[in-house]
Amino acid sequence: MNRWLRAALIAGAITAVGLFVWTSWPPNSQYALVEISFAIVGLSFMVAGIVAWQRWPASRLGLLFTIVGYLYLVPYILVNLANPVAWTIGNVTEGVSGAALVHLGLAWPTGRLRSRFECGVVVADYVQNIAFNTAATMFWNPAFSGCNASCPANVLLIGDGSRSAWNTLNTIEGLVGLVITGVVLTLIVRHWRSARGWSRRAMIPLLWIGAAVGAEEILTGNLFHFSATVTYVLLPLVLLAGPALFVISTVQARTAAGALGTAIVDLEPGASPGRLRDALARALGDSTLQLAFRQPGGSGHLDTSGQAVDADRPDNGRTVVPIAGSDEAVLVYDEGLELEPQLIKLTAAAAGMALEHARLQAEVQAQLEQVRASRARIVEAGDAERRRLERDLHDGAQQRLVTLSLALGMARDRAAGADPELEALITSAGKEAREALTELRELARGIHPAVLTETGLTGAVQALVERSPVAVTITAVPDERFPAAVEATAYFVVSEALANVAKHAMAGGARVTIRRQPGRLVVEVSDDGAGGARAEGGSGLRGLADRVASVGGVLRVDSPPGGGTRLEADLPCP
Amino acid sequence: MIVDDHDGVRSFARGMLEAAGFTVAEAGTGAEATEAARTVRPGLVLLDIGLPDFDGFEVARRLAAAAAEGPAPVVVLTSTREARDYGGQIAASPAAGFLPKDQLSGAALRAFLTRDR
Repeated sequence: MNRWLRAALIAGAITAVGLFVWTSWPPNSQYALVEISFAIVGLSFMVAGIVAWQRWPASRLGLLFTIVGYLYLVPYILVNLANPVAWTIGNVTEGVSGAALVHLGLAWPTGRLRSRFECGVVVADYVQNIAFNTAATMFWNPAFSGCNASCPANVLLIGDGSRSAWNTLNTIEGLVGLVITGVVLTLIVRHWRSARGWSRRAMIPLLWIGAAVGAEEILTGNLFHFSATVTYVLLPLVLLAGPALFVISTVQARTAAGALGTAIVDLEPGASPGRLRDALARALGDSTLQLAFRQPGGSGHLDTSGQAVDADRPDNGRTVVPIAGSDEAVLVYDEGLELEPQLIKLTAAAAGMALEHARLQAEVQAQLEQVRASRARIVEAGDAERRRLERDLHDGAQQRLVTLSLALGMARDRAAGADPELEALITSAGKEAREALTELRELARGIHPAVLTETGLTGAVQALVERSPVAVTITAVPDERFPAAVEATAYFVVSEALANVAKHAMAGGARVTIRRQPGRLVVEVSDDGAGGARAEGGSGLRGLADRVASVGGVLRVDSPPGGGTRLEADLPCP
Repeated sequence: MIVDDHDGVRSFARGMLEAAGFTVAEAGTGAEATEAARTVRPGLVLLDIGLPDFDGFEVARRLAAAAAEGPAPVVVLTSTREARDYGGQIAASPAAGFLPKDQLSGAALRAFLTRDR
């Protein structure tokens, strides 16, 4: 809202209330409460006007609130000025604030009337209000209220006036006013019933105003007679509820922007679009909010419950905003929210961020799954290749070397005694062949331990322990077969751990435990050595951790300096 | 009897053992070995662990199970691999022992025969 407009409205409100207090000073003890109550109600509408202007600059609601506030106070100021013309104008316009209130109610919340019929109702109310008050004033002699020379003159007075004519006119005005109030309240209830979502919520303060006006019309319409205190003090105060509720709802709308942030932050990661919609609807105060997505391959949109939404021509009273950063998603919301363009912009942005976040998360998750699967496949392919190499060596070169070795043995036997030089030569050749065979065996075992394929973990771990230069105790090894990748990983963990114990730990002994647990195989190797081993850096432990991770497992190293080393691999195992 | 799927090894072993005074029969698979054992009734079986149909441990078990039909042969397992590559399987089998293939000789086999008798 314009700075100057706001300053003018504030100054106007202060002036009006100031004048009201000044002109009615000193307070007549009989009317003091009445005057205080009027001042409060008038001021409350002016304040609501400023708030409405600020909140919905596109709406005329602020103007209407302000007009109601002035029309409420100004006639009383005029009456109190003790000037005949002012007094007369004050009397004529005394009830026009009621007509302005009807205008406000029918124009809620955009400040514009919805139909010609409703325009007619508003005009008729203004006209009858001024007409009846003018006519009644013509018959009101100020002397009727007991002041003769002290009162300002009534410039419209016909002759000496007529109390009975004044009474009759007031009674008729009360009846006409009652009919118009009935029509207006019916229209407002219809507005409320046809409104949905945000618009319906936005009408709550109006319903209070309507109820208060209706009550006031009925009770002050000269049909009933209450004490002056009830009529002039308590009933106006009921009117306060309208502006007050409007101001409260404005504060709530302010917090809606903050609630949006909270709603997005509070969404758990991976929340469904339905949850996102619910959170946005709550924060926005529009229960009809829909989050709709373009159908894959189709042109239509579906909301989060799978219902078709026409995003090009939404239902009556609906508006669509595309969500930034997403080609597929739109927000469909109550058109009343057009009054809150900033809030809609924020909501669309928040929804866009949440959707983008969810999409990225899903993408990263999918990529991670792919990478995990491909890593496992690569490791498995490597293992299979090593198994094949070992088998090829065993079936090919090793057999040939064995044959060669046997042949040399036979040749040496034949040459024995006959040719000592030849015999020595063949013995030496046989020795070479056996050494070649031994080296080839070690090579093959390094490529892939045949014992693992042959006997599983039981024999393979036993073989590792037998070869270890450190005294190793096997606490437990399950005597069953597991998937090849799991067996190979468990074997490499034990093999690498025992190699480290021999190389670095300066340990007196080590212990190997492999336990089968539901869905897991836990491999543990501990020693009583120097400790201080670390999984980070370029050590063999880093490679081992990668190997364990390739089957989806976790490697834990607990190695306090001086406290021995404990290596635990937790492998998923069906 | 020599049980080995590798022809070269089998013929050299045969030559060596015949030279050492053995009468030699041959089999190339586990099935042939169990079948031949019933007809030939060998006193000693040199049994390769890696066979194409079922492994040497299984053949040794079947030979031991067929013992009711007659005196069981002394079974010596053999392989180009080392004994420890088979973990506890060799000790657990009914075979008399293990001899690495490259250390095969008549004398080594006789040692098993005399130890067993």
